Amino acid sequence: MDIANAIDPKMIDAIIRFGLEVLIILIKIVVVLAIGLLHVAYATYFERKVIGHMQVRLGPMRVGPHGLLQPFADGIKLFFKEDIIPANADKVVFYIAPIIFMAASMVNLSVIPFSYSFTIADFKISPVIADINIGLLFIFAMAGIGVYGIFIAGWASNSKYAFLGGLRSAAQVISYEIAMGLSLVGVMIMAGSLNLTDIVRAQEESVFGMFAIPQIVGFVVFTIAAVAETNRTPFDMPEAESELVAGYFTEYSGFRFAEFFLGEYIAMIIMASMATICFLGGWTLPWYILSVLPFLKMVPGIVWFLMKAYAFFFFYYWIRATLPRYRYDQVMAIGWKILIPVALANILVTGLVKIIITTLHGA
Amino acid sequence: MTVREIIKRFTFIEIFQGMALTLKKMFSHAVTIQYPKERRHIAPGFRGLHALAKNPVTGQTKCVGCGLCAAICPSQCITIKRGNGKVQDYEIEVLRCIYCGFCVEACPYGAIAMTENYEYSEYKRSDLLMNKEKLLANWDKSMPDKKGEEYFKKFWRPMSDDFGTPRDQSSFRGKQQ
Repeated sequence: MDIANAIDPKMIDAIIRFGLEVLIILIKIVVVLAIGLLHVAYATYFERKVIGHMQVRLGPMRVGPHGLLQPFADGIKLFFKEDIIPANADKVVFYIAPIIFMAASMVNLSVIPFSYSFTIADFKISPVIADINIGLLFIFAMAGIGVYGIFIAGWASNSKYAFLGGLRSAAQVISYEIAMGLSLVGVMIMAGSLNLTDIVRAQEESVFGMFAIPQIVGFVVFTIAAVAETNRTPFDMPEAESELVAGYFTEYSGFRFAEFFLGEYIAMIIMASMATICFLGGWTLPWYILSVLPFLKMVPGIVWFLMKAYAFFFFYYWIRATLPRYRYDQVMAIGWKILIPVALANILVTGLVKIIITTLHGA
Repeated sequence: MTVREIIKRFTFIEIFQGMALTLKKMFSHAVTIQYPKERRHIAPGFRGLHALAKNPVTGQTKCVGCGLCAAICPSQCITIKRGNGKVQDYEIEVLRCIYCGFCVEACPYGAIAMTENYEYSEYKRSDLLMNKEKLLANWDKSMPDKKGEEYFKKFWRPMSDDFGTPRDQSSFRGKQQ
């Protein structure tokens, strides 16, 4: 029997093709994870630098030129630190909590598209690991799971500070997730899709070039909710240093603490990417800028994406250096009494305008 | 709430004003002094570690052991041991000193000085108990040549300069070493 004829050549082609697709996805995962973690490392560095300079200090200066190697020094230190587990902690849950938190925020990286898709040797590569149709909902769902990590950590530590931090975080993240979700409904209505790539494409084709202009109310609500959602100043109730030591991760040390830290910064990266994709036009530039300065078309899309995301990141640092912490009842009042009604009104107006436009243009 | 207040609250004007301030400060010069590399400018007449002034002729201490410094010292950290008409030892417990400078002011002979040296941390308490030898060595280290003389002229003016006894009047000047 001829072995060469046992398998159909078409089938071999299909298998090879499948293998290559898997390989491409694996490469994408490695690249996104590596770049994501590098961004986390230098996000901490630039946070310290920016806040330092805003407070007329220098920030890290000792490790490497201008303290550029500081993130690595911190990482090595955290890695070799003693892993302390409180005697009365619920051990298993204590171990699981940081993993849940970090995984829930890291998984979000897989649905974020970064640029235009390109072709290498008739493989169409879109720079997103999983181009799923419910990308936006997926991110909400994962943010919801992340709360479990925080809350479980607070409970399992068997410490009053951690417990209060966990409770506060659960209340805060849940309240602000509603406001954030509602603020993005306007974007969903305008784009007509939950797929993040489609949302960016819709902005590219829209009159305004980016949804931040027609959806300015939604953008403001989203920005405030995003800061609260990632537990950052001025909404850092769960880790309020002056009240709760460090909040939910008070009892964590060494690498387990680093996992929380990573999760928090990746959540910030996700929020910055979400703002970029949903409101600032992702990797595209508005058509009116391109018609004035046509040479900007030569710049790859990833550059615009990163610049917009960095700008949003800078905003995070900026308000941290500027604003004091809100009181707990104020945080809740802003979330429930202001942001949610405003976001609902925004949905109403957006929906009405959409109906009027579609009836005028005839579907 | 007046209309003005409502507008103020919903346009975040005050927050933006604060953010403008922080952004402006970000591009200003940092006030940090990176200590081991850069040092703060030491003002003239700085009151740092003590030293016993040396007589330039004999190379011995100017101190006569009158004990005025020990008497005036608010934290009583100066101990003078006399014997055989000489100052046997002169001890300053630097850890207790409050650097008021009264000892320098009190000394009629300009025998004790405060140098510009402020970096003398040690691991043991006993290392910071200054005796006569150490204090004399401090003078050589921190007040070389003319510097020590100028220090007294500029900032302290020993009482002997102002109220010096006439040469022909009997005094214990002969005991000065």
